[in-house]
Amino acid sequence: MENFKKIAIGGFSLIMALSFSVNAQDTTSTFDRQAEQNNPSNIDMKPGKSKMMLRGYYHTGFENTTMGDESDNQFNFGNIAPILMYKQSDKLFFEAEFEGEFEDGEFHWTVEYADVSYILNDYMTVRAGKFILPFGTFMEKLHPAWINRLATRPLGFGHDGIAPSSDVGVELRGAFHTGSIKLNYQAYVVNGPRLKTGMDEPDEAGMLMFGMGAFGDNNNNKAFGGRLGVLPFTNSSLELGFSGMTAKVGDKETIYEDVRANLYALDLNYVKNLNFIKSVVDIKGQYNYSQVDDANYTVPDDTLGLYYDFNNVSTAYYAQVSIRPSMSGNNLLRKLELVGRYSVMETPEGSLWESNPTQTAIGLNYWIDWRTVLKFGYQTTDGGSGGHSEEGEESVESPTANMFYVHLAIGF
Amino acid sequence: MKKIIIILSIVTVVIMGATSFNSCKPSEAVMARSGAQIWGETCIRCHNPADPASFSDTEWDVAAMHMQIRANLTADEIKKVTEFLQSAN
Repeated sequence: MENFKKIAIGGFSLIMALSFSVNAQDTTSTFDRQAEQNNPSNIDMKPGKSKMMLRGYYHTGFENTTMGDESDNQFNFGNIAPILMYKQSDKLFFEAEFEGEFEDGEFHWTVEYADVSYILNDYMTVRAGKFILPFGTFMEKLHPAWINRLATRPLGFGHDGIAPSSDVGVELRGAFHTGSIKLNYQAYVVNGPRLKTGMDEPDEAGMLMFGMGAFGDNNNNKAFGGRLGVLPFTNSSLELGFSGMTAKVGDKETIYEDVRANLYALDLNYVKNLNFIKSVVDIKGQYNYSQVDDANYTVPDDTLGLYYDFNNVSTAYYAQVSIRPSMSGNNLLRKLELVGRYSVMETPEGSLWESNPTQTAIGLNYWIDWRTVLKFGYQTTDGGSGGHSEEGEESVESPTANMFYVHLAIGF
Repeated sequence: MKKIIIILSIVTVVIMGATSFNSCKPSEAVMARSGAQIWGETCIRCHNPADPASFSDTEWDVAAMHMQIRANLTADEIKKVTEFLQSAN
């Protein structure tokens, strides 16, 4: 027993001594490694195979809005959108954008997108996860605050818009040249949009709900879609694109199960340095078309079981022109940019969300650097938020809404 | 649905025609474009061309892969642009 105690105490002492010794070595080597890594001359000398980068954007501003006799002005927090980019190898890439903003008095974070891309070859990349859908170009490429030339989105995009935003699924994309023509393509399968039946929000019966893919699919039918872009000139100054998407959108095991939606978009992007006016001219536009199969929706507050239907077709388009004298000899002029945008949206006649707003926006931008801009803008919207006051009555049109704003946007 | 099929079929035929006509090879003018030229002409289609000094070589490597996927740049285009940005930063 005595021997057992001696052996136990000896063994414990040996383990403790070895443990301190090992820890001391670890501490020393960790310290040396950190010192080595913190040496500025070693940074970027031997980058690892995996690389990470945090980027993103933020915008904030002041807005003054008038609608009829009502006027409102406020500083706007805007939103912050950090983007995490992670290059695991020359083939594998992960990216995620988180969007934070105040809504109804609370701060909310949402995942704008989070997807993994794998480069199959020079002409083909597959990606999976939640990604921004290539329906036209505005949402996928132009909506970030430091890229969008105006502080607002055109009609038809965003909340209650008719163009899809992001969804969960798989996508194949790529680009290649054939002669002087460049072609790019995207094809995807995602959970797809959902049809609002009016059960929760009677005034929005027949409207499509986008971006719900992260919450699962409401039926077993997936949405198929894609975009094809053509750049006919060697200098890539012009791009024309066609996008489409089709899906059954009704909840399964309901009368809306077979209701299908077909969406199309045409987009144009022309950007050119025009030497004779020492300026960059930027012309952009997109036309969206949404058609949903006819369906019967319950008349709100009706006790007799009455239904109504309508031709569920919506359209929206915008055209935007901006000019920046970036080749001018004057330093101030080089940083200024004039922009104008006209957009129209038309939602189904006979629906409770019928409206035909038109919007004109003009702006003057001051570019502090290539990714930081101060935007001064004015926009006026006519005919928004229409719809029927009650079933069968004449549509109610909102008064003209005018907004003046100053916004600061930074890409980081 | 029929419309989508018809339009996609037409588009596919046009692409295949253009591809076979040009043997799916970039023209000499396309091949001759430098990294600086592509940087100036392509980035500006969405945003102002990035200042090369904004990021380190490592960061450009990550940002380039992001742009290759997002902006549908070809492998040749992104290789040239990345080399230009890493040499000019």
